[in-house]
Amino acid sequence: MLNRRQILKGAALFSLAPTIPVFMKSAGAAEKSNDRILVVIQLSGGNDGLNTIVPWKNEAYAANRRELRLKEESLIRIDDETALHPSMGRMAELLQDGRLAIVQGVGYPNPNRSHEASMAIWHTAKTDVDEHRSDGWLGQALDTFAPQSRGPTGVSVSDEVIPAALRSHRTMVASIDSLQDFQVKSFPMQRASSSINGSNSSPLAEFMERTTLDAYATASQIDSLMTQSASKGVSELSKLDGPLARRLKIVSDLIRADFGPRVYYTQQSGYDTHAGQLNTHSQLLGSLSNGLKAFLDDIESAGNADRVAVLCFSEFGRQVAENSSAGTDHGTAGPVFLAGKSFQSGLHGRPVDLSQLDQNAPSHTVDFRSIYVEILREWLQVKPDVKLGPFESKLSLFHG
Amino acid sequence: MIWSVWQPSQKQPWDVKRVKHLLRRSGFSPDWKTIQAGLSNGVEKTIDQVLDFGPQDESTQQFESLAKTIGEAAVGADSADRLRAWWIFRMIMTPKPLEERLTLLWHNHFATSNHKVNSVAAMYEQNLHLRTHCLGKFSDLLRSVVKTPAMMIWLDASTNRKEHPNENLGRELLELFTLGEGNYNERDVTEAARSLTGWTVTTQKVHVEPAYHDPGKKTILGTTHSFNGDGLLDFLVKQPATARRIAWRLCQMFFGEQIVDEPAMKALADGLLAHDLDLKWAVETILRSELFFSDANIRSRIASPVEYVIGAIRCLEMNKHPPSTFFLAAQLRHLGQDLFHPPSVFGWPEGRAWIDTRSVLARTQFAEQLVEGQFHQSKTPLDVSILPKQYGLANSRKQTQAFFADLIGNEVDSASVAKAETNANDEDTMLRQMIAKAISSIDNQII
Repeated sequence: MLNRRQILKGAALFSLAPTIPVFMKSAGAAEKSNDRILVVIQLSGGNDGLNTIVPWKNEAYAANRRELRLKEESLIRIDDETALHPSMGRMAELLQDGRLAIVQGVGYPNPNRSHEASMAIWHTAKTDVDEHRSDGWLGQALDTFAPQSRGPTGVSVSDEVIPAALRSHRTMVASIDSLQDFQVKSFPMQRASSSINGSNSSPLAEFMERTTLDAYATASQIDSLMTQSASKGVSELSKLDGPLARRLKIVSDLIRADFGPRVYYTQQSGYDTHAGQLNTHSQLLGSLSNGLKAFLDDIESAGNADRVAVLCFSEFGRQVAENSSAGTDHGTAGPVFLAGKSFQSGLHGRPVDLSQLDQNAPSHTVDFRSIYVEILREWLQVKPDVKLGPFESKLSLFHG
Repeated sequence: MIWSVWQPSQKQPWDVKRVKHLLRRSGFSPDWKTIQAGLSNGVEKTIDQVLDFGPQDESTQQFESLAKTIGEAAVGADSADRLRAWWIFRMIMTPKPLEERLTLLWHNHFATSNHKVNSVAAMYEQNLHLRTHCLGKFSDLLRSVVKTPAMMIWLDASTNRKEHPNENLGRELLELFTLGEGNYNERDVTEAARSLTGWTVTTQKVHVEPAYHDPGKKTILGTTHSFNGDGLLDFLVKQPATARRIAWRLCQMFFGEQIVDEPAMKALADGLLAHDLDLKWAVETILRSELFFSDANIRSRIASPVEYVIGAIRCLEMNKHPPSTFFLAAQLRHLGQDLFHPPSVFGWPEGRAWIDTRSVLARTQFAEQLVEGQFHQSKTPLDVSILPKQYGLANSRKQTQAFFADLIGNEVDSASVAKAETNANDEDTMLRQMIAKAISSIDNQII
């Protein structure tokens, strides 16, 4: 059997031919995939969970939030204790449609309040710093799938570095921030193959060589797919402003074109609201809420609602008492959103206990790894050899 | 012993490879005459010149004066694009490449983004501080950079009040600027934030407001004292963990992957601590060392977008008729290194993180567009006859090709030269394609 490298090398040689290779022409005619897809939206900076899923009746909320307390009449009530931030109208619609699950109080033991360290914990699903160089929780899962014959199995849609969550041993992970960049007119394979024919043999050179091959394989596939499947209909996403909507549109276009990856990973940054939080936070949640709804509608109109699930998380929540700058400092647990038709819509888990604080932040009630376990087992149907530790799947996030 | 001085030998001669290694790591890819000068001057004198930030000759004064005009105009116009263009102008024209590289290193260490600061004047001022102290004492660098309006706005320090301290500056000061993660606890962060209360910004100046300061006792790393902001900085620069982090940061620039082992890092950190965190001592120790010139360290590091772009321009001597610095700024952004706009408080992650599917394609396109003159206002393609003639290496087509291959590449790749010939219609286009290919080759990106 050929391994991935050999396939790619074959592809590179093959495409020295001046015309588009045969296997790419046939890509559009192939049967539509049924593979399930996970889309991750990382809320970078530490989202203030308390002002996202608001415990509006809780006295501790009112007592700790003077400047930042959201007005009761503006909140979108979920039940007698819990409400959504006023900017999250579209997500409230998703909740009503049965397309949004909210897990409350998600975190992990001995919380780390450094952005970098806490993000590494979420990415690797390991709380021990010494293990933070290991593969990502999704990268390990991707390694268990059969490689895509023509392109990446994971994609980071962002202008930032590929997140450690996608770090793997064997899997091609591409980074894309604009489809135009990959629609390379002059056929580039020849350049790739000649620049790697040199005498490079160091691990660094091999890494560069592999990435170069991945880039040209991804480019040639995107080029042919996007030519064949010009986006049909008008997407609400195109009407929304901001980088998140633009990136979700890329994900939507690629899924519609049956690009192949099992995981798409994108980011919305700006949640590190140490000062003047109210406006910034409201805009961020508005973009998230509008973008998420428009994205799911797009997916549904393309007939993919049953095979796409979305996970939204942040590296930590923020402290309960606000600071003197009308902002909040780094805290611990926060809510996680799961969006799509396959989830049991509604609230999951227990809210955090605001009367028991350590250094101004609550303890988690749900370990994030129990969410990961359900996504891996029940959604991506990864074999149980991806080990995240002894985390039982007991949240019942998915239908049936 | 670990940092002993390198001496050329028969096995490790002072040759083109090592001249390029020194000048690329401490600056940008050198042009032909600089390589030749390095060869004839010898290693000691070449390093002396790299480190010479002393009195300015006339051409340096002219450069500085022009740069100042451009920088102040950018501030006057409050234009972030002109600010980026100013720094690129400095990098492609400077006679002291190490100064710009170290300024960039500290820009990354004290990563501050105009995305939030939203003041060209404040970002410009911070950049001048970074440059002034880039090879001085770390304590001076830390004090001057942390206590600028740019940093105060970036980390929300200006609204830090004793009643409810804002932890942002305190945390990043410990985690990123001095001690490093794992060398403090949450209590230290809170206490550092208390110490910093009272620092504020009024009309673009940092100002200490006693009424906002919490004068009480604070316990930081086990030491109890009524710290204020300045006292906290003085205390932090004396910590071994800070020396350790500065040693690591310098090694990130001068060494490739897994070259500096634990004992070497510790020895460098100890030396820094003993020399009062004197950055010049550390950089000189590194540049003269056996470890720096060891075979393992040569060609073991991925060029950053800045090194890739500026290196191409300088080695081809395009700085005589430079491309538009605005276009180059846009290219750097596209390649993942938007000057004055690092992605977060952590700066750019460096190393392998520069390379992914997106950037591989973008780097190739950059090289092609550069030689075709796409970044020049005039859109005039690179004149490939000038340099070989200037250096008397234009006697045959083969000699000209060899000249460019030697200039850009590390080892001549005759296969790629031959392949380039097949596509082009005329000789100059062919040569430009070869040059573009040499620039974007893996060979030239691992430097």
